[in-house]
Amino acid sequence: MTYTTETGTAGKTDRTGFWGRLSTFGPYVALTDILLSSPRRQFWFLLAIPILWVFITHLGPILQMLNVSLLSSYPPSPNKVSVYTLENYRKFWSDSIFITPFIRTLVFSSVLTLTTLIIMYPVAYFLARHVRRDRQILFLMLLLIPFWVGEVVRIFAMMILLGNNGALNILLQWLGLTERPIPFMYTGFSLSAGIIYLTALYMLMPLYSALEKIPASYSEAAADLGAGPWTRFRRITLPLSLEGIASGCTLVFLISTGMYATPVLLGGPSTTLFSEVIAGFFHVAGDQWPVGAAFSCIMLLTALALSGGFNKLMGFLAGRVSK
Amino acid sequence: MTRNTRILMQCIYWAFVIYLLVPLFLMMLMGFKDSKFIGFPIKSWTLDWYMTVFADTAVLQAFAYSMVIAVVSTLIALTMGTWIAVALTGRSFWGRAIILGLTLLPAIIPGVISAIAFRIAARVVGMEPGMWAIIWSHAIHNVPFVVLVVMARLSTMPKSYAEAARDLGADPIIAFFRVSLPYLTPAMIGGGVFCMLLSFDDFVRSFFLGGYEPTLPVLIFAKLRSGMSPEINAISTIVLVLTALLGLWAERSMRGLSKRASHD
Repeated sequence: MTYTTETGTAGKTDRTGFWGRLSTFGPYVALTDILLSSPRRQFWFLLAIPILWVFITHLGPILQMLNVSLLSSYPPSPNKVSVYTLENYRKFWSDSIFITPFIRTLVFSSVLTLTTLIIMYPVAYFLARHVRRDRQILFLMLLLIPFWVGEVVRIFAMMILLGNNGALNILLQWLGLTERPIPFMYTGFSLSAGIIYLTALYMLMPLYSALEKIPASYSEAAADLGAGPWTRFRRITLPLSLEGIASGCTLVFLISTGMYATPVLLGGPSTTLFSEVIAGFFHVAGDQWPVGAAFSCIMLLTALALSGGFNKLMGFLAGRVSK
Repeated sequence: MTRNTRILMQCIYWAFVIYLLVPLFLMMLMGFKDSKFIGFPIKSWTLDWYMTVFADTAVLQAFAYSMVIAVVSTLIALTMGTWIAVALTGRSFWGRAIILGLTLLPAIIPGVISAIAFRIAARVVGMEPGMWAIIWSHAIHNVPFVVLVVMARLSTMPKSYAEAARDLGADPIIAFFRVSLPYLTPAMIGGGVFCMLLSFDDFVRSFFLGGYEPTLPVLIFAKLRSGMSPEINAISTIVLVLTALLGLWAERSMRGLSKRASHD
């Protein structure tokens, strides 16, 4: 891109093209006089709409959910008066059918996040450090293509792999490892396999970009100073990739706490997650929206607090290492 | 790293590639199976399931419906995302960090919770569940991704470009459309395709905000719950091929972008 091709015809002398005519068009001139006459006005013209947009559409729905979670009944109906109450939040503590899926979701998501990290770290390291630079794209593509396919289609693919007549069972029977099909589906196993399948690339990308930035010379210098492979990894590579680990883990954790189709299709009665509990309040007829909203708020606050705390911890560790 | 750990990592990489690709490959194979039952072995082959898909008006309608939602929500997300990115780049003002944080908020809220927040908000403002509610939620969810891509591209644009345009007499609006926008176009195409894929593939928001007409993922979900049939394999295979092609094309245009940027 050069100045001549991009801006060559934008001069004052050009009054014939579309832009030239626009810049002398009466209403446009009047409008720009109002909007752009001072730097201050330009600033507000540019910012007013983005600020309104993020407050109304990004924050608004969350605040409305919070508001509904404090109401005694919603949607409004003529024969009920809605008042503010904490009853919906109290309900959460009242019954283990709510608390158990909640704890299960948190434990499940944390364990899966850690598992994904352990699986993806070597993959990212291999890609960033051991694949020739011009071939990295190709190796990344192999992992990216499945990632573009939607959640439901990938769950379906997982169902075909793990079903009783699925490929895995056929393979195991053919190898003689099992007489009868192993029921993989609708267990914690199928759910975990599905969630890792869906979230792994959110772990890979931050790890890859963090590892790719570390110059190979750092490790070489450490090796010259007599550091063994494990020491080099522990003292150089791991601390420098903490940022990637933090963002990868945050993404995977938040995504897996919010999955709905996956636990419905791959999970069973013993693996009910909190998202299914929340969704239940919106499907049954009756006055359950406030409870669902309250439970959503509890889940959102817990998930954000946990991942925020985790990020603080990682930041603290990274800060200590760099000193 | 020693030789052994390198080989081990290579093995983990390939094992993971197999884990990602084999289920999709099996799913594609199953769409050609000449039987109603999903499962191996496949004894005879057929194209009938694809014929069923192309004759199934519900599927075709859902496909068109999803496409319309994807395109419209992407256009909204691109407009707002670019606007926010331009407004936030190269300026410091009180509250900028808050605005940036709020901008990225929709991307980190867990899926179900964001869907429910949108469902409640739609009810509060009196929006009926249906196409516009879905478009609205997809657009909001996709804005953060556009902002990130466009901001990254803007940060590589030399300040002199806009200054030169101003010196030549363009007002800020015309300077934006004639200088910044062409510079941002490749990033916007990449970000836009990503948004379209996200919207086209989205299940949870479409599920909670949809009316009686299902989007394609919602239709596949409903079919899966009522029992598996090779027709779903055929639909999924078509979706997979289309999304992969679109994604590859966007990836290529983004890749070319970073190469050209280094020549600038």
